[in-house]
Amino acid sequence: MLIKTKDKIIVNGVSFFYGRNQVLDNIHASFAEGAITAITGPSGQGKSTLLGLFNCMWDEIPGARCTGTIRIRLGDMWVSPLKKDIPMPLLRRKVAMIFQEPNPLPMSIAGNMAFPLKLAGVRDKSFIEEKVQKALAQAFLWEEVKDRLEKSALDLSGGQKQRLCIARALVLEPEVLLCDEPTSSLDKKAAGIIEDFLVSLKAKCTLLVVSHYMDQMRRIADKVMLLQDQGLSQI
Amino acid sequence: MIFSRETIAKNVFLFCTLASTVTISSILLFMIALGLPLFQESSFLSIWTGPWDPYQGLYGIRPMISGTLWIALPATALSLPLSLGTSFVITSLGGRELRRMLGALVRFMTGIPTVIYGFVGIFLLMPLIREGFGGAGMCVLAAVIVLAILISPTMILFFSDSLLSVDPGDVQAAKALGADRAQRLLYIIMPKALNGMISGFILALGRALGDTLISLMLAGNAIRAPRGFLEPARTLTAHIALVNAADFNSLEFRSIFTCGIALYLFTTTAVIAVRFIGRKKSVMQ
Amino acid sequence: MQGFAEKAVVVFSWIMTILLCLFVFLFIGYLLIQGLPSLGRELIFGQADPLQALLGRARVFDGIFPAIVGTLCLVELSATLAVPVGVCSGIYLAEYAGPGMKKLSGMFFDILAGIPSIVIGLFGFSLAVFLHNHFDDRIGPCLLISSLSLAILVLPYIVRSTQISLEELSPGIRRTGLALGANKLQNITYVLIPNALSGISSGIILAVGRCAEDTAVMLLTGVVATAGVPSSLLSQYEALPFYIYYISNQYTNPEELAGGYGASLILLGVCAFLFMLAYGMKKHLSYWTLYRA
Repeated sequence: MLIKTKDKIIVNGVSFFYGRNQVLDNIHASFAEGAITAITGPSGQGKSTLLGLFNCMWDEIPGARCTGTIRIRLGDMWVSPLKKDIPMPLLRRKVAMIFQEPNPLPMSIAGNMAFPLKLAGVRDKSFIEEKVQKALAQAFLWEEVKDRLEKSALDLSGGQKQRLCIARALVLEPEVLLCDEPTSSLDKKAAGIIEDFLVSLKAKCTLLVVSHYMDQMRRIADKVMLLQDQGLSQI
Repeated sequence: MIFSRETIAKNVFLFCTLASTVTISSILLFMIALGLPLFQESSFLSIWTGPWDPYQGLYGIRPMISGTLWIALPATALSLPLSLGTSFVITSLGGRELRRMLGALVRFMTGIPTVIYGFVGIFLLMPLIREGFGGAGMCVLAAVIVLAILISPTMILFFSDSLLSVDPGDVQAAKALGADRAQRLLYIIMPKALNGMISGFILALGRALGDTLISLMLAGNAIRAPRGFLEPARTLTAHIALVNAADFNSLEFRSIFTCGIALYLFTTTAVIAVRFIGRKKSVMQ
Repeated sequence: MQGFAEKAVVVFSWIMTILLCLFVFLFIGYLLIQGLPSLGRELIFGQADPLQALLGRARVFDGIFPAIVGTLCLVELSATLAVPVGVCSGIYLAEYAGPGMKKLSGMFFDILAGIPSIVIGLFGFSLAVFLHNHFDDRIGPCLLISSLSLAILVLPYIVRSTQISLEELSPGIRRTGLALGANKLQNITYVLIPNALSGISSGIILAVGRCAEDTAVMLLTGVVATAGVPSSLLSQYEALPFYIYYISNQYTNPEELAGGYGASLILLGVCAFLFMLAYGMKKHLSYWTLYRA
């Protein structure tokens, strides 16, 4: 059976400047829905910057400037993050992001998981509980933490922390998941679990993964792109 | 709904910022407004440099400026070697346990209220000076000694901080070349930390210039430019503290505002100098 | 020759350190020896019954109870005035202000933090006289004016320590909330402030310590030697640091002097505790906060 993949994200002529330095130059690309696209390249070439364009995190960097258009299809609607035609919090709830260092907040595991829902204004306790359990189960974490939900999230191991952070991002059921070197601070075994986890998410979201590891990309990615000399090309 | 709440919060924050800015600026405006007529009535220069003689209608603040300098400069000069030596021990010469304890002691010193320094100074130091040097005991020397101790924690904390912020790599490199602790301190750390140390020195000087209680309690408060360490003196700050006129229009009252403006200028210059030094440092890096 | 210079530096450093420690221990030791015997119920409440005094039924004439109450009122009032405004300003400067405004305000508040406290006392004094002459005869130097002046005195610390603790947060923490869909205000209240809390509160504690000990401001704004427990915002009051200052040049008998030592010990205990608490909460405080005269 042939499933026709549709474009989820279309990047058109995007250039990015940081102060006087040009980081990205006239980038064109499209990312298919329900696929994992890996982005690789030498360090310091702006991979994280590129990832941050999709959920407008670059907005927080003083002195940054961006031209061109990015269009993301959320539900049936096309939005352009660079034009800010959607409120930032709404965009970021649908285009979630995972960072290189796991960043659980200094609260309980349950508190971390419920946090995005709280931000979105959800009050219904049983609804929150159900969502939290579902997301933790997706991250293969439910069995490990179900007895210590009220304990601090900072006491988890590195791999557990990262899975918690991914699960936390999934609570809001994002359509796009941006992962900035999600396994580089973890050992091999923990990284393997995360990789399996990311692959299992393909049915629900479109994933963009920045990675340094060739073997990792070969295992999980449907498409690999190289960011070099300010340009993006497929390999 | 959420967005309107966000706008409200932002405006509350902005309002608070404006309120604090306006409140604090009003101090300077108030002082200028109240001190201004004095500048108009007598010649501008004579207020700063003239003598104080109310019976002759002379309200120059020169004796007070001279008293302030006589106390603040020697106190800072005395505090400098004390602070320098202590910060050397805290940052490199002492053992680990000793460093920790000294650090705690210095921080404890910052928490001692000024009035207590003055109180102990009167009953502990004054008799010693009276016996050792004669005179009434209330003199520049007493204020200088206590003030030097009072401002030393400021200097020590700044010194230690700049000494510790030197790149450990440089220090390691020197260590590998066979430099011992004292050599590393003198030839590697000191030159790099110099800017920060100058900042600490200026701030401590500012603190010495602006201190009220020590000179008020220990220096004797005579309105006469001192000519030696055993003579009494009155500082600008003590002069303000001893105000007893409540008539806005009296010249005596207005002269107090001139003192305030003088102090304001002294300390503002110090702060701007420190910020300038700090900027130069960051440019160099 | 060089070896000699280096040795000299080491010897010099140790001598200076020992000298400084000697001074401090002498100061504190002297105070302890003189002050400890006088600590007790008598020192605080004099001849009055403690319970009656605490309930406000009996006036304390020969103890430092009114001075303690006066100091507490002063600290409480000035903190109420300064903390909310200061923290909000700090938040604005750290999170909303543009780079130009940040630079300017940083300079501004640093200069203000450096103004000698006596100048701020003078401001309070002239404000009181001004109000007295132009608005109402009943207004003079009083508890309210003092608190207002002290609030102005400590406002720059609170603003700067709040601003600096927020700005010091790592970009990682800053991004966490935003990436989860928090708007700016949510990010500030749920993520940034809880993470900067130790810095913000140690700034506030330092400010409180300053309010409790700054004699120069009180001197000009309404503190008196005998006022009893303050009855209203517009009444004059007693305060611990002023009591110590007053005893030091007005004492008439050894008992009063002993009271001065006792009061010094109490004030020292309170202030040192507050400062050490603030340091304990945040190891690396900005030393700007120490620099006021």
